[in-house]
Amino acid sequence: MEMNSPQMVRKLKRDPGIVSRMYLTMLLIGVLYGVFGYVMLRLGIPLAFVGLIVLGLAIFQYFMSERLVMMSTGAKEVSEEDAANLHGMIRDLADRYGMPMPKVAIIESAMPNAFATGRNPENALVAVTTGILRRLTRRELRAVLGHELAHVANRDMKVLAISNFFVTLTSFLMTMFFFNMLFGRRDSGGGAGPFMIAYLVTILVYFLGKLLVLALTRYREYGADHTGAEISGDPGGLADALEKIAMGMDYIPDEDLRRLQPAQAFLFAPAVRGFAANMFSTHPPIEERIARLRDLEAEMRYGYRN
Amino acid sequence: MGWFFGSGKKSADTMWDSMSSVSRMVDRFRHDGEAVSPRRQAGVVYRDDDGIPFLTSLSEHLDGILYDGPSATKTGWEIKDDDHGMRWAVLNDGNFDDLLSSVFTVSNAIKMNGGGQNLLAAVFEFDFANHAVDRRALAGSGFVHAYLIYRFDRNAFYPFIPTGENAGERDRETERALGTAIRSEGLKTEGAMTEWLGLWGIPF
Repeated sequence: MEMNSPQMVRKLKRDPGIVSRMYLTMLLIGVLYGVFGYVMLRLGIPLAFVGLIVLGLAIFQYFMSERLVMMSTGAKEVSEEDAANLHGMIRDLADRYGMPMPKVAIIESAMPNAFATGRNPENALVAVTTGILRRLTRRELRAVLGHELAHVANRDMKVLAISNFFVTLTSFLMTMFFFNMLFGRRDSGGGAGPFMIAYLVTILVYFLGKLLVLALTRYREYGADHTGAEISGDPGGLADALEKIAMGMDYIPDEDLRRLQPAQAFLFAPAVRGFAANMFSTHPPIEERIARLRDLEAEMRYGYRN
Repeated sequence: MGWFFGSGKKSADTMWDSMSSVSRMVDRFRHDGEAVSPRRQAGVVYRDDDGIPFLTSLSEHLDGILYDGPSATKTGWEIKDDDHGMRWAVLNDGNFDDLLSSVFTVSNAIKMNGGGQNLLAAVFEFDFANHAVDRRALAGSGFVHAYLIYRFDRNAFYPFIPTGENAGERDRETERALGTAIRSEGLKTEGAMTEWLGLWGIPF
């Protein structure tokens, strides 16, 4: 099925701050590994052999990603007859955005979650858990599916596979250098200097690369919220789903009302979240995503954003 | 201090708007052909406080509050203590609109006399036909006994279906379904389920 140009879709303004930071992050990843390759070359470390092994693994993973993910998550593909509602909802969203229909899978799990995978829109898979099917309303589920289709449309699997390739490469090299240091020849004299430098540079590049890739996944997540809002036309539905599931707003408590102290009755748990917690996270803070989605909702409804 | 969901300074109008949505809800359920019957008792639970004379002597005021003036009813009343050190004004009236009006009158009197912060909840008791709770259920296949709790600090209702005497024992699945049903029938319903705090051992 060929990609049609989206026609029923209302385009939304992008946040220039987020977009420019995302491209800057991608640029930094490129520069980081360019410099890394150059330094290794100058130090006389042969990268080609290790690079080929890792590349082979990455390509294998890339083409097998659907099946690997399905195996590791226990997702079972469901036919149109097995899950007519789910299929219909996804087909409607895909048509709206002019995307091919992805494969649909269900995971038998009470944990509410959903994911998308696949190397391109023609080979994509969208999976949902039975837990999310039970807990979300139709409207919320539709918005979540829009977000997952957005990951497919934005080719996030490809972007992350490429940026992760370098992280895997450096972690491979790090391990190799480490064992080389433990068991390698110690009397090599002049050879130890460049070798130590290469080891330290690899460690540094590994951690920097990892942080950059994590930052990139967070920007892609904002991007999927944004594109997902265009696909479903309903950013408010996704905000509701996030509030319900990620913020635990639909958790019915065990506590008794009479145990509340008078003053506490009015207090809302403050969201304490440090910069460091954000830096190591694959997803942006939920509060921030919800706030942006509510802005998109206002833009859609009233034609402007705060 | 900026209140997230509004403070206790709400006007009586706002409280009445929310509280009275329970009467509208009953009408709308019935209009849809769903069997929903309020029971004849309801309660206002509050924290007694030596610093608020009106609260400590509430029983001396209730006859005057309920039976004088234009909104007088024939509602019976009783003051009860529970196992959590709280006090309940338990009201009894076969006419649901009168019962609701009396619950509001008592709550508003407590609030007007400095006890607004001591008000925890107003509790109504119902029998909902299974089909009213979940439209997929077979019609005429029994009833769900549930409380609807109005929390004063949140100015909204939520369902409560205890399954035992101990904290935490509740039928969450039916509460969830009922929450959706009552909201769609116009009841001012608490959106954050984390605030659906229980009241185990209701003394009526």
